[in-house]
Amino acid sequence: MKRLKRMVAVFMMVVLVLALAACGKSSKTKDGKTLLTFQIWDVAQKDGMQAICDAYSKKNPDVKIEVQVTSWDEYWTKLEAAAVSNQMPDIFWMHTNEILKYADYGKLADLTDLYEDENYYKEHFSDVSIANSQGSDGHIYAVPKDKDTVCLVYNKEMFDEAKVSYPDENWTWDDLTEASQKIYDATGKYGYMAYGDDQLGYWNFVYQNGGYILTKDKEKGGFDQKATRDAMKYYINLQKEDWCPDQNYFAETSPGTAFFSGEGAMFLEGNWNLLSEMKNYPDMVGKWDVAVLPKCPNPESGDGRATISNGLGYATSATGKNLEIVKDFLRFAGSEEGQRIQGESGAAIPAYEGLEDTWIKVFDDFDYVIDVQKCVDMFDYSVQSVNNKYRSVWKPKVTEELLKIYSGKVSIDKGLDKINEYINTAKNDE
Amino acid sequence: MSKAKRQEAFWGYLMVAPTIIGLIVLNFYPFFDTLKLSFAKTLPFGLYKMQGIDNYVKMFSSAEFWKATWNTIYFCILTVPIGVFISLIVAIMLNSKIKGRTAFRAIFFLPMVVAPAAVAMVWKWMFNTEYGIINSVLHAHINWVSNPHIIMITCAIVAIWSAVGYDAVLLLSGLQNISKSYYEAASLDGASKIQQFFHITLPMVSPTLFVVIITRLMASLKVYDIIYMIVEQSNPVLTDAQSLMYLFYRESFVSGNQGLGSAIVIWTVFLIGIVTAVQFVGQKKWVNYEI
Repeated sequence: MKRLKRMVAVFMMVVLVLALAACGKSSKTKDGKTLLTFQIWDVAQKDGMQAICDAYSKKNPDVKIEVQVTSWDEYWTKLEAAAVSNQMPDIFWMHTNEILKYADYGKLADLTDLYEDENYYKEHFSDVSIANSQGSDGHIYAVPKDKDTVCLVYNKEMFDEAKVSYPDENWTWDDLTEASQKIYDATGKYGYMAYGDDQLGYWNFVYQNGGYILTKDKEKGGFDQKATRDAMKYYINLQKEDWCPDQNYFAETSPGTAFFSGEGAMFLEGNWNLLSEMKNYPDMVGKWDVAVLPKCPNPESGDGRATISNGLGYATSATGKNLEIVKDFLRFAGSEEGQRIQGESGAAIPAYEGLEDTWIKVFDDFDYVIDVQKCVDMFDYSVQSVNNKYRSVWKPKVTEELLKIYSGKVSIDKGLDKINEYINTAKNDE
Repeated sequence: MSKAKRQEAFWGYLMVAPTIIGLIVLNFYPFFDTLKLSFAKTLPFGLYKMQGIDNYVKMFSSAEFWKATWNTIYFCILTVPIGVFISLIVAIMLNSKIKGRTAFRAIFFLPMVVAPAAVAMVWKWMFNTEYGIINSVLHAHINWVSNPHIIMITCAIVAIWSAVGYDAVLLLSGLQNISKSYYEAASLDGASKIQQFFHITLPMVSPTLFVVIITRLMASLKVYDIIYMIVEQSNPVLTDAQSLMYLFYRESFVSGNQGLGSAIVIWTVFLIGIVTAVQFVGQKKWVNYEI
């Protein structure tokens, strides 16, 4: 019996040691430095982020930061699970789609007073950037990291072949459709590919027409407004033209794939994809360029110009163990120096005002320099990316209803009514 | 109980403990948790509040849910009979004396080794309307991936292709248990190959066949990865193709509504339970355990 007791004791010990070993995730390196983890979702930006971390470590030799990449699809599932178990990474990217949820549930550290100068954010970041970093209470929960716009990408060769002049600042929707028709007639290729996407599609058209997706207080949908409905009808009906592929085509081939395999002449692209497209399609370099979005010729209100601008932020957990050290790093990431390193790495357009050129210069390395200045020009009239607290509730339903409209299962009017209803009732679901 | 017996029992429990603990922690606990969540309204970050049968009311009154249930059943009808039949044919061929038999066995098993996501990805390109190899070989213009009437057939083809190898190997092991003497006796009596198949092979392999049908049916009722990879959420045929598990995924992880998602899971468990029970009753009529 004694032997048995001893064996059980040994067994229990082993279990205990194993359990302890699993929990003991140390935040120190072997040589006593503080080790921070930094979670991001974009592989293309890993080197840029690491460069910022290295620059910080150079100044603060006792802090080491490790950048980890998780794919976009897994990122939010993982982050939410980590938030539940209080194991969030020390530093992580925040996105406008999710920031309200995380901020309002108290998962993010309040960074409003991160800088001693209380006007720091206002002085160095645009209103759109700040809005993208705020929780519902107006406090700042993420240091603005970058900003982006949506631009028109076009195939120069097809324009030349159809003898149409390239898109410029004066282009309107009419020019867009006219050019598309001419290109289709001359080359047999698609013109503008009006993909059923929000940020890279109809949102831009709605705001150009003076409409809106959400009211200013973000409480109600704008799909009952004439300006919004007209723009939606215009955009959806583009797929009925011969020169535009339909949603079935896009189900198999994304507009980007079609464009870079020479099947279509134009599509809307986010500036954050341009660098990797230059790198990934070397045969296409010199054959395409970038323009500002065409404007609405007769808007209900406004001057017809708009582009959706989104931005990411650096955030940290409200209950992090190394909060003070992390805050110091965030201060650095939001400083001119930190933002400059980001721009020069080509990762994205720095949110910090006045550093846009650092990102533009990255494109000078290519044989043909595309006109990325156009992406930056559009900040003058950019619109904040659409979000509210209940976005995750209405967004999938809106997408689904839109697909029904595209496939003709419901009429545009009925579908848009339904979409507005989904947005307005989303909060009851919360 | 004597001391020796008690000690023996103790060691017995200790030996099965790892499996039992694993089963409780990884299967039972999550199951009851899911059951509980299906009666709750879930909020972000793992918070929830109990609310009764609202999720079930919402689920049973949703057209999308019934469509997904039908899609799942339709998928089973498409894949299970044909898939198992092909597997049986393949197993019989692999069991005969042909050249390079081992190589063929390995080749048929290969799809099982590849990740389902990768399989679906490759097939999706082969099915592409404009550039896909299948349309180009057929000289056709079939919208494999975007026609609501064809999409389930497309998914079924991929599913059958990836499952045939595994099922064939299982059936092959069943076939190899059949003693050669039965066939010798049968041919002496003048039975044809077809008669031999129906009167010797089929009854003798029926226990294995039963296992294969049951596991294949369960897997088909739980189909998710193949459809998820082939039918993106921006595809207009989404509602014509989404299975129950796909709907569960979208409710739980896209819309963040784990409560409703859990109700869908419980419904699927119920469905699988019924189907399996029917099979166990039905097997008495055709499965032969006396060898």
